[in-house]
Amino acid sequence: MKKRLTAVSVLLLVGITLVFARGGKESAAKSAGLTKIEMWYNATQTEVGPLPNDWVGYKILKDRFNIELEASSLPSSTTDQDMKIQAAAAADTLPDFFVANREVWLRLAKNGMLADVTDLYKKMPNRTKIMFDQDAINFTMLNGRSYGFATPSMISRNEGVLIRKDWLSKLGLAVPKTTEDFLGVMRAFTFRDPDRNGRNDTWGYGAFIEVTTYEAYPGRRFQPLMGAFGVEGTWNMTAANFGLQIHKPEFYDFMKYMKTIIDEGVIDPNWMAYKKDDFRAAWKQGKFGIMREQNAAYAAKNNYAPFDANFPEGEWIVVDPPIGPKGKSSVGPETRGLRIWCISAKAAEQGKAEKIAEMFEWMATGEGYLLCGWGQEGINYKMEDGIPVSMPGDLGFEGPIGQTYIQLRSMAFNYSSDAELKSRYPIYITDVSKKQMSALWVLREMQSKKWTNCMGADSMPVPSTDLKTFYEQGLAEFFTGKRALTPENWKVFIAEFDKIGGTSWEKAGFEYAKANSYLK
Amino acid sequence: MKQKHTQSYVTTKLTGSDKGFNLVVNLFMAFILLVLAIPLWSTITLSFRSATFIGSYIEGMFLPPWQWSFAAYKALLGNSGFLLAFMNSFKILVQGVAVALLLTVPLAYGLSVKNLRGRKWMVIFVIIPYVFNVGLVPAYILVTKLKLINHLSSIYLPVAIGTYNCLIMKSFFEGIPNELKESAYIDGCNDFQVLIRIILPLSKAIIMTIGLYYGVALWNDYFHPMLYLNKDYLRPLPILLRNILLAAGMNEFVEAKAFGEAPVEAIKAASVFMSAIPMIIAYPFVQKYFTKGTLLGSIKG
Repeated sequence: MKKRLTAVSVLLLVGITLVFARGGKESAAKSAGLTKIEMWYNATQTEVGPLPNDWVGYKILKDRFNIELEASSLPSSTTDQDMKIQAAAAADTLPDFFVANREVWLRLAKNGMLADVTDLYKKMPNRTKIMFDQDAINFTMLNGRSYGFATPSMISRNEGVLIRKDWLSKLGLAVPKTTEDFLGVMRAFTFRDPDRNGRNDTWGYGAFIEVTTYEAYPGRRFQPLMGAFGVEGTWNMTAANFGLQIHKPEFYDFMKYMKTIIDEGVIDPNWMAYKKDDFRAAWKQGKFGIMREQNAAYAAKNNYAPFDANFPEGEWIVVDPPIGPKGKSSVGPETRGLRIWCISAKAAEQGKAEKIAEMFEWMATGEGYLLCGWGQEGINYKMEDGIPVSMPGDLGFEGPIGQTYIQLRSMAFNYSSDAELKSRYPIYITDVSKKQMSALWVLREMQSKKWTNCMGADSMPVPSTDLKTFYEQGLAEFFTGKRALTPENWKVFIAEFDKIGGTSWEKAGFEYAKANSYLK
Repeated sequence: MKQKHTQSYVTTKLTGSDKGFNLVVNLFMAFILLVLAIPLWSTITLSFRSATFIGSYIEGMFLPPWQWSFAAYKALLGNSGFLLAFMNSFKILVQGVAVALLLTVPLAYGLSVKNLRGRKWMVIFVIIPYVFNVGLVPAYILVTKLKLINHLSSIYLPVAIGTYNCLIMKSFFEGIPNELKESAYIDGCNDFQVLIRIILPLSKAIIMTIGLYYGVALWNDYFHPMLYLNKDYLRPLPILLRNILLAAGMNEFVEAKAFGEAPVEAIKAASVFMSAIPMIIAYPFVQKYFTKGTLLGSIKG
């Protein structure tokens, strides 16, 4: 009996393995005359679940355009996306249509794995008009031909310097303008108990280390302070003064300013340890009164709610970035964050390129645009004064199910139209303080501030890991006092930096910027 | 006549230095326990934190249970993506462990047979891929050519025979007395019957141990599913977990309520904790075999 049981168990296991090897049912129908398009896209919100099989767009594409779309979302991190796309390229199994960053795009284009799409722009008049200006087309040019469609992937200038207005009022302070004013306010926020709780538990400035290719250490959250000295961003992208910002003499002035903030203890001391979520939890808990933050992370209803509950009287306002001793100021470097939609050469050989263009145009126009951006009218959204508004409940495009139906939103949105922004950031009344708020108002305010145009800075050559580590550790040592910040020590540090690759990095950057017409 | 049995106990009087040593050892072990327990406790309490919590990380860890919020768990369990990913992970686990053991046990047994012709070369052949990794691209091409892309089997088949696990098992089989096998041969068993009837019943400990190794590796595998599974509905828990952990969107762009009212940090902690639950449940059941299995392999020779 026992032996039989064992034998049956083994057979069952093998059976299960064979039956479930595919893991589930594939829904795609197969019929003659259809052009099958395999597409890898960036999901709007990877965590809420995939685009459902019953998405009405599949049916429309099939019935009206004879397209059988097979959409799969890419991994959420860009590193993983790159790896996946490059592995598929190596095995010659690239999907027909996919989105990639410029570095991967360039490699694939040079290897002849991407289709020339120069002639397809005129087949997408509406999308071209909305999204593809000359800058965007240049972004995908190689030897005079375009090998992809550069589309916006984010709202530009959507961050700003925020300050606790209620704290300023309580302390009788004016909105700071210069770096010295800012320092004064930071001191007051730190030492004069702005929240009146009798505890010494607040700081002036709050930040965390958020480094990108174009916002080198100490990163994005310190850009307004760097901007006051004219050294915002990793690179100075002007033709007259091109180079790594760290090589500029003003960078040392910025370092001195940072050191003052740190030594006086007017910055939240956890700035080196905080991650993004910790930082956001910290301002919602009233730990500091000045920061650089993103509009929706600050003002979207769900994100603002904890702050509102904790500090019903609390209020943040968007202010101009600090003005430095030489009159400079900037919120930070601005790039367009373009992502490139590519058609594989194989798909073009199979005659799919025009069908893809047809589908891409549909997604940017009328019915397709609304469907990708907000779902189905009456189910996921309703129109109010020409603005799509989420339906109540789970199926609304803001609800957990509704969101799965707008996973292709990034293919449709241009991230700047009023309809998109108003729908995305509706006006609402806060739960506790009953204030009227809108992340769109905050966005408009932030966009009106001074930024530095650094188009192309996000695709500049990156340093080797060793050089990057040296750069970051070196600055951190000055900040923490491990190394005294003196002109001599700074000179030695820069010399060491250049010796291990700083100079060649800058040189490579210059060549690249020149070749891609990024010098302003 | 009743015989008296006397039981003698050997008692050793601890000297001062012994006591001191024991104290240091105990303190060290307590320290190790704390090092392991604090992050776990921190994750658990973080998952129960409400959106309106004000306080430091440490204060959060000592938040009384009546102030805990279950919003994160409610949101995760109500998320269809989470349940789908959990089921996919479960399928990969069950199928993967079954296939891995079905392939590893015969190979390890074969290599443990001392009079097998060419055994030494076969062992070297098994060790080569362990020393020289084939690399991402060739592996991807192989999986593609075998048409395993978008099959759950692509996750466990390429790693179905772990060289390290196979060698541990081989070494265990080598420790089983040869006389047992010889008597089975005399009774008329063939090689396969010896494996099934003699070796396997004696090898529960090592099979459970190696099964656990395979299980943990498959349950936690992010890389292979990310690479080989393009279809969203096939993706297992580690992919979703990473999506949640990296979901800047959830934090920045959500005017929406992807996970209801639960705070992002709580969602992340809850998803980490929930994904660990199956392994936390499995460990106590496998532990008795696990200790025995790891030790048995090590004392051979």
